[in-house]
Amino acid sequence: MTALFRLVENARAVPVVMAALFTATLCGAQEKPGAAAPAPPPAATQPAEYAGSQACQMCHEDISNAFQKNPHQAVETGNKNGWATRACESCHGPGSKHADSASAADIRNPAKLKPADTDKICLTCHLNQPTHVGRINSGHARNQVSCTACHSIHAHGPNGLVARKLPDINKLCAGCHADVWASFQKPYKHRLPEGAMSCVDCHNPHGSFLPRSIQTVSANEPGCFKCHGDKVGPFTYEHPPVRLEGCIACHQPHGSANPRMLTRSEVRFVCLECHSNLPTPTPGPGGTPTLGTVPPAIHDLRSPRFQNCNLCHQKVHGSYVSRDFLK
Amino acid sequence: MRYLLALILIVPALAQQPDQPAKPDAQPAAAPAKTEEKTESPAPPATEDWLTGSVDFGYRWVGDAGNFQAYRSVVNLGEGPKLTGIDFTILDPKKRLFDRLDARGSGWGGDPYTTAHVDARKQGVYDFNFDYRNIAYFNNLPSYSNPLAPAGFDEQAFDTHRRNTSFNLDLRPGKKIIPYLAFDRNSGYGHGIDTWVQDSNDEFAVPTLLRDSTNNYRGGVRMEWCNCVHVTLEVGGTTFKDDDLSSFSGSNYGDRTTSLLGQTLVLNSLQQAYGIRGSSIYTKALATARPFSWLNLYGQFLYSEPKVDVHYTDSATGNFSQINSLLFYSAQMNLGTGAANQPHTSGNAGLELRPFRRLRIVESWMTDRYHDAASPATAEQILLTPKTLGPNLVTPLNYTQVVNYNQQQIDVLFDLSSKLTLRGGYRYVWGDATVLAGQLSQSGALASGQLSRNVGLAGLTFRPAQKLSLNLDYEGASSDRIYFRTSLNDYYKLRARARYQVAASLMLQANFQVLNNRNPAAAIQYNFGSRDNSLAVYWTPAGGKHITMMGEYDRSSLSSNIDYLGLFFSPGVSVYRENAHTATSTIDFALPGYAGLTPKFTAGGSLFISTGTRPSRYYQPLMRLSIPLQKHVYWNTEWKYYGYGEQFYLYEGFRAQVFMTGLRLTK
Repeated sequence: MTALFRLVENARAVPVVMAALFTATLCGAQEKPGAAAPAPPPAATQPAEYAGSQACQMCHEDISNAFQKNPHQAVETGNKNGWATRACESCHGPGSKHADSASAADIRNPAKLKPADTDKICLTCHLNQPTHVGRINSGHARNQVSCTACHSIHAHGPNGLVARKLPDINKLCAGCHADVWASFQKPYKHRLPEGAMSCVDCHNPHGSFLPRSIQTVSANEPGCFKCHGDKVGPFTYEHPPVRLEGCIACHQPHGSANPRMLTRSEVRFVCLECHSNLPTPTPGPGGTPTLGTVPPAIHDLRSPRFQNCNLCHQKVHGSYVSRDFLK
Repeated sequence: MRYLLALILIVPALAQQPDQPAKPDAQPAAAPAKTEEKTESPAPPATEDWLTGSVDFGYRWVGDAGNFQAYRSVVNLGEGPKLTGIDFTILDPKKRLFDRLDARGSGWGGDPYTTAHVDARKQGVYDFNFDYRNIAYFNNLPSYSNPLAPAGFDEQAFDTHRRNTSFNLDLRPGKKIIPYLAFDRNSGYGHGIDTWVQDSNDEFAVPTLLRDSTNNYRGGVRMEWCNCVHVTLEVGGTTFKDDDLSSFSGSNYGDRTTSLLGQTLVLNSLQQAYGIRGSSIYTKALATARPFSWLNLYGQFLYSEPKVDVHYTDSATGNFSQINSLLFYSAQMNLGTGAANQPHTSGNAGLELRPFRRLRIVESWMTDRYHDAASPATAEQILLTPKTLGPNLVTPLNYTQVVNYNQQQIDVLFDLSSKLTLRGGYRYVWGDATVLAGQLSQSGALASGQLSRNVGLAGLTFRPAQKLSLNLDYEGASSDRIYFRTSLNDYYKLRARARYQVAASLMLQANFQVLNNRNPAAAIQYNFGSRDNSLAVYWTPAGGKHITMMGEYDRSSLSSNIDYLGLFFSPGVSVYRENAHTATSTIDFALPGYAGLTPKFTAGGSLFISTGTRPSRYYQPLMRLSIPLQKHVYWNTEWKYYGYGEQFYLYEGFRAQVFMTGLRLTK
């Protein structure tokens, strides 16, 4: 309960939320609650009616056969969503006119709708699922990347609805994120090109409440800790950047020219760029006080012995014993 | 292992799969979902095999020249018989234990990257997933150690494996109430060279055994009402242990190359052991709702309280010094105990509002709070001679690390037309942190920092035709408070992405990205800039019947300047530059066929060339020949070259020819 109160403490967003809700109540009342996805523009005055999936199968036999082995077949056979025997029309809308005319203009094709409208059709059933909690504010949603950009709705097989094999997932993502894939050609990187990992091991393409759609694991920890469980802590001596800035404070997870995917060529610069505050409480007029201590003067940085700080400060992700991360 | 390999080979040898799956190192190609749909949705044959799949196996030779340790640090592929890929699907026509079972694996037989995955499903009854990864981490680079170390270049070298295993079982999938159970295990095991540090006078490289594991158990239930309200309740627990161990016996003079006050420091024996035990229980609740067709709501709340108990000991003999008291002594023992707990509260909520058909408003809010309480204590006992006790230093500490992070964001999306969507928004990020100030002593003051950042957001999506799309994303921010000197301060990010289907067989894609960050504060003067431009071409004439080509070129640059304190507090500027060219390409040729069989030749690879602070070159050309011997038997041969060189660290370069030949069996 205490935690709930803490949550409310900084609720600066509440007024905005309330205002938005109020606006919605005023403006949206004209739409019928529970209305389905947007209907296609009427091709004639007489509205189309539902014809049933069997009518679709008459012409689209290949799709229909594939669909029978597709997870969406549950829509056809189950009653959960109320589309039993009308699975095709659950997405394509009433098809009687199209069945009569065989004209593409008489049927809704989600693949040719605006991405937001396509998503709306998919989310009619899939919105209320845990993986889509972050969908609303994901980068994909904001950039109008529709569900069908990655998912094949009718197909069956190992890559039926979406790529499942690790190399295939990477291929799918790299189809748009070519610049990111280029980073994985650097010598020090996570093992994606080798097929040992995939983009979705770290990112949730449906969105996440963490930046960059980073996956969360167990207790909403950043996805990095799924594999690097020894870096989670809690440590008796925490290194604050790990929690405050995350791994990217020091690492380039997509790939780097520097060993261990570091952001700098030499370890000392990774450390000293933060640990360089002047030996005064504040860094001077106009300066912003920042965390990060003054570097100790006992280290002769001319000597290679002291140039790789983590030769001694080896528990730099957090230590159980040493405040200086020595052990 | 060989028997296991043989067993795995026999089972799927009867399997079949008409088209070849992508090789692990295959280069990406544009694969629009709609194209896949066409190719992967043929009408199934009247009688479909209950078992389909493929298996790839062969023998790999590695010929290397140059620094073998660097080769292992970057590539790490080894010689020997390999099961490079296995993939099969079982369809049970009677649907007894399962409707469908998919299993796949790769990299078995001593490869550094081993994977296995199983999906089994019985509609309406269960959905089961198993995933296993075993990834080798080898790191032994001279530039990352002390090159003047008398003991050699192996400091901070590791030869370890990290293994991830996960099980997930959903019961009654597709129903309105879905209970689920899951188990994840992450563990690390291996050897390495750690450093035992003796009072800033000397440090000694010692062999270490690394062992840690994290188990996560969780279970919950997903509930759904009227297709418009969804609630998930989950309870989970984690156990953690870390039993790293270091030991040494002999004469180790450490990294110090000179005597100290006429005496030589030496480590003769060391026993060091960590006994870390952790546990955590967490509770998570999330909900989504669509009370009206124009309103979606979601929210999530989590509370966890991980705890750790620390038991540490080390004892060492040799000749050591405590320079601040001019004391030389022959042995020391350290005992460390402690505990830490970290209550973690996390919550987020949001809504999507569609007041008009063309307008969407997305509001989100989140908070993430870690409030650690730690009580470490160390006791150091010095022995002047084996029987004479010296100073005993006990350092207890109680402190709290508090980290609060909050974010609120609003986005407004407006469809100006059916082809153009504009987006604008605002994000406010704020937080505070109280942490243990970095000091040399074991006890000391706390330091506080604050975060306050205002971010403006804008973007557009333009799709003038089905064949052309353009995305623009802009983010500009001004920060009042930041945590670290290198944090994002006053910055802007711009991203542009365009795709153009020139013809049915030709597609172009271009990306542009820029990030500029400035912190003009005195004694910081941080200027960071990065740019990334890439162009990709995908060409599949005649539907890829004879030739398929994919090519990507990426040009990136990074520039960073920041003031820092160097030798004895002397001010300096840390400068980092990287100008890189990266290219990847794959060309598949269908060679003249015989007896209805078509051999295939693939050429391509990647290159990375950078100049700047660490000029590097990394080439990975490859050639692959796949000759069908029969309808379901392919003879695959692959040559790949790995060439790596650094201008400033020539001794870390390597060249390796990797040749592999083997069979692919389908039916």
